[in-house]
Amino acid sequence: MENAWIIPLFPLLSFLFLIFFGKRLKEASAYIGILLSLASFVYSLLVLFERFSSPTHKAESVWLTIGDVQLTAGFEVNQLNALMLVIVSLVSFLVHTYSKGYMHGDERFHVYYAYLGLFTFAMLGLVLSPNLLQTYIFWELVGLGSFLLIGFYFYKEEAKKAAKKAFIMTRIGDVGLLIGMILLFWQVGSFEYDEIFAAVEAGAVSSTMITLTAILIFIGAVGKSGQFPLHTWLPDAMEGPTPVSALIHAATMVAAGVYLVASLFPLFSASETALLTVAIIGAFTAIFAASIGLVQKDIKRVLAYSTVSQLGYMMLALGSAGYVAGVFHLMTHAFFKALLFLAAGSVIHAVHTQDIEKMGGLWKKLRVTGPLFLIGTLAISGVPLFSGFFSKDEILIAAWANGNTVLFWLAVVAAFFTAFYMFRLFFMVFSGESRSDMKHVKESPSVMTVPMMVLAILAVVAGYVNTPWFGTFLGDWLTEGNPALGHGHIEGPSWIMIVATVVSLLGIFLAWLIYSKRSLSRDWLGASTLYTILYNKYYIDELYELTVLKVTKGLSLILRFIETFIVEGIVKGVSGAVSGLGHLGSRFQSGQIQRYGAVAFVGLAILIVVFAVTGGYLK
Amino acid sequence: MDLETLLSFKWSIMTPEFIILGVITLLSLLDLFMAKSVNRKLLGWLGLAGILGALVALLTLMGNSPEAILYDTFRLDSFAIAFKLLLLIGSALVFLIAISYEPKEGLTEYRGEFYYLFLAALLGAMMMSSSGDLITLFIGLELLSISSYILAGIRKKHSGSNESAMKYVVNGGISTSITIFGMSYVYGLTGTTNLLDMARHVITLADSQHIYLLGLAFFMIFVGLSFKVATAPFHMWAPDVYQGAPTPVTAFLSVVSKTAGFILIVRILMVIFYNIPTEGPGSMPLLIKVQDYIAFLAAATMIIGNVVALRQKNIKRLFAYSSIAQAGYLLVVVASMSAFLFDTLWFYLGAYLFMNLGAFAIIQLITQKTGSEDIAEFAGLYRKAPILAIAMAVFILSLAGIPGTAGFIGKLNIFMGALVVEPAHYVLVSIMIATTVVSYFYYFGVMVQMFFRPAANDEVKFKLPAGLGVVIGVCVFATILFGVAPNVALDFLQGNFNQFSDFFQ
Repeated sequence: MENAWIIPLFPLLSFLFLIFFGKRLKEASAYIGILLSLASFVYSLLVLFERFSSPTHKAESVWLTIGDVQLTAGFEVNQLNALMLVIVSLVSFLVHTYSKGYMHGDERFHVYYAYLGLFTFAMLGLVLSPNLLQTYIFWELVGLGSFLLIGFYFYKEEAKKAAKKAFIMTRIGDVGLLIGMILLFWQVGSFEYDEIFAAVEAGAVSSTMITLTAILIFIGAVGKSGQFPLHTWLPDAMEGPTPVSALIHAATMVAAGVYLVASLFPLFSASETALLTVAIIGAFTAIFAASIGLVQKDIKRVLAYSTVSQLGYMMLALGSAGYVAGVFHLMTHAFFKALLFLAAGSVIHAVHTQDIEKMGGLWKKLRVTGPLFLIGTLAISGVPLFSGFFSKDEILIAAWANGNTVLFWLAVVAAFFTAFYMFRLFFMVFSGESRSDMKHVKESPSVMTVPMMVLAILAVVAGYVNTPWFGTFLGDWLTEGNPALGHGHIEGPSWIMIVATVVSLLGIFLAWLIYSKRSLSRDWLGASTLYTILYNKYYIDELYELTVLKVTKGLSLILRFIETFIVEGIVKGVSGAVSGLGHLGSRFQSGQIQRYGAVAFVGLAILIVVFAVTGGYLK
Repeated sequence: MDLETLLSFKWSIMTPEFIILGVITLLSLLDLFMAKSVNRKLLGWLGLAGILGALVALLTLMGNSPEAILYDTFRLDSFAIAFKLLLLIGSALVFLIAISYEPKEGLTEYRGEFYYLFLAALLGAMMMSSSGDLITLFIGLELLSISSYILAGIRKKHSGSNESAMKYVVNGGISTSITIFGMSYVYGLTGTTNLLDMARHVITLADSQHIYLLGLAFFMIFVGLSFKVATAPFHMWAPDVYQGAPTPVTAFLSVVSKTAGFILIVRILMVIFYNIPTEGPGSMPLLIKVQDYIAFLAAATMIIGNVVALRQKNIKRLFAYSSIAQAGYLLVVVASMSAFLFDTLWFYLGAYLFMNLGAFAIIQLITQKTGSEDIAEFAGLYRKAPILAIAMAVFILSLAGIPGTAGFIGKLNIFMGALVVEPAHYVLVSIMIATTVVSYFYYFGVMVQMFFRPAANDEVKFKLPAGLGVVIGVCVFATILFGVAPNVALDFLQGNFNQFSDFFQ
């Protein structure tokens, strides 16, 4: 555990190596990326096992001393970090492997692997950070990695736009995070998590300030985790290669917002208002995104909205003081959502389209992908015995126990939506008649299917680490020795579990009726207004277009006027003056030493005269 | 002075100087008696070994309480050790550059003296940093200066080199005379040449006319010494001299000689002028009173250096102006007189040493290969020699003060130092930031050449001589190390030099 800092260095090494030598290695680059990410996974696993038996390890050294303030850098391995390390490095390793098949034949193959390395490095570094400043640095670096990978197909106009949008939208959130961070530093005098928590506990920070900083930091998390109203970048980010969507926009980076709230949980839990904000935003996002997911036609977009919705679930859990529930769902979601994305990638790889209306009857052709996709779908829908069932159940119990009846029922409805749209997706892609233009569909190579199988196993079994039946091992371990995080397990009435099951089965049944058995009309929403609204994602983008962009455009017109006539004038004046001065200076430098000596003398004389006159010595 | 007194001195504290002196003697004798056919580069390696030996000797002297011998003319306090460290490291790197120096017309005949003149100059600089007396201080200064004059003109058949030496010696003469004229005032009023005795004497001064004279003396000494560090108003020689002098000499002048100049300025200013009361004992020191003048000169230097650099086409001339600008930043440290003056100065001089010498190593390589000193010769360097281009980029980024490099931390320290004092030097800091922004233009101009311009001709293959390779490697490593982990250097400084508390003892 003392050497946990090595873990992020493997992918960094991969990045550096591939940037410099990747061109020569071509597709062999994959092996380097895979090996090094495997190394960091194995190491993470060792750290996790060691963490079971030994206490939190923290190592820091002073990075910079400015006056009395010491900024430190280091790493920390607590329960949450150790768990995240394994999740991130495992998914990263699987995606590295999968990409070897998926990206085969791409011209910039090695660049892709280099970026993957950079991203993994940043994400692991983020997870290990023991203080806010370091977190912030890696937070930005993760954003950079995401930006590069979304825009990987930079020759596609949409990809370029999506990359820019992702960068800007998350940056808006980051401003909140930065301000919150600086306010905290001003109040506490440290970026250290431990010291911040100690100060909060000791009552050294006023309650308004706690609420303010917590909400500001939450804004950062909203941007990163695609919560309402900053969610619009995440579906657009699907322009990136599909394995990237699995890694960054499903399992790891978007979960960073949730992770940030979780690791600052003691700060949030000190403020009722902050927690409530988190819970409301989470619940609203959950149902809001799920409803959009009902009608989308692009396989990846459905998954993207489901990601937004599931992240909302996690936020709801954290906001309802369900620390364990939030982290638990973060873990199970990472596995089944990565599985779904990889399986979707496999489908796209096979049929070369992302439009689900053009698919159908693929069950018989994709004999491996189909069942794997089904496992992922069952898990996310919360069907009993799959991992999603247990974690979703925990969240519902947390919401109920916290007394937010409205939010609880919102979450239940969102669960129904989830089951419905996920099975809509499944039936539309895999059941029914196979289409004539899809005759040459071939199953993906094993380099792609094996990683999916690993994830499928995890999507089934990962839930059993924390169940009401076999013991709440995960919860107990996560909260061990840290009462501020709440109890390892929250008791809830048993009818909640029954309701959750019924709701999810109902959703599946309805989807089956409509999309597989076709006993109900397929266009059940028809051309109704509701359909149009949902299909257009509540017109959020258009709303932004109308309000923010119009205002900005108007503002920019005014600013441009100022820019051309005033700023540019000044700039021209300044740069002209500077270069004129430079010209004068070099002209003055005539090469005549008499002049050089004279300048020194004149300078001395002026100094002395001024000194004599102002110093009052000449009387 | 009989033999007994002579032997009673603790000579061991002069070990580094003795080693250098011994090596100078050895080299000049060897040069005289060795057969003509023997390659004189051997002498260069010997000299380098001598410098490293002196460095080791200096390190063993570290941590002792301050000592003074020869009737307080030679003192070894933590200030002297810390800055001698910079002088020795700088000289060692300059030596490596000098060993790889191959001018067009050859240097066979003078190569021997080339090396031991460097050592003589270094010895002068070391004596200066240890001297506790105006006489030894001045002798050290002259030893450094005169050796440098000859070094600038060592390419006897090269007109640029001759011109450079000529200009250097004439300006140097003017500066020396101004300096010594100022010193004579101080001597006249105190009746002693010993710095600490002077301090004890001036502290009781009450006559305002005497203090006025000391004020005049301050300006003369300061302007005279500004020649050594190339700051306004005595900066104009630098571009001409830097351009014409052999590249290793330019590197030496811009780093080692400049460091020595700052050592001298700090020693004289802090010991003498900091102790002169303006209105009777216990009142505001004279140095604080003239603080604004120093600040003004610092601002002027930064502006002149950075602005005129914009128009340069010759790489060595560009770096001359850049080094004027850098000296301006260092003057900001002196002008702000914060509690961490020594630390800040030391760190920035150290950072500057590595980034500037690294850059000069590459400049020498390029100018020697292409036979031209035009900045355009850097075009397409990234394609021809990517590693060299990246190394140069590191040095340039550091000189420009971009985060992640030693130059950034150095500048940050300077800002902090100028802002923590009461009253804070907002204007000075603003000027420093503004001129730093200006400096981006010419620094990035070189970067643009290296990375985004196609090469004029692709034939030139770069063979990196071992000496230059070592310099570049060490400098890149140090520049990044002190940029990422500045506390390595700062902890070393704070752990070994007792906060320079023995400076006035």
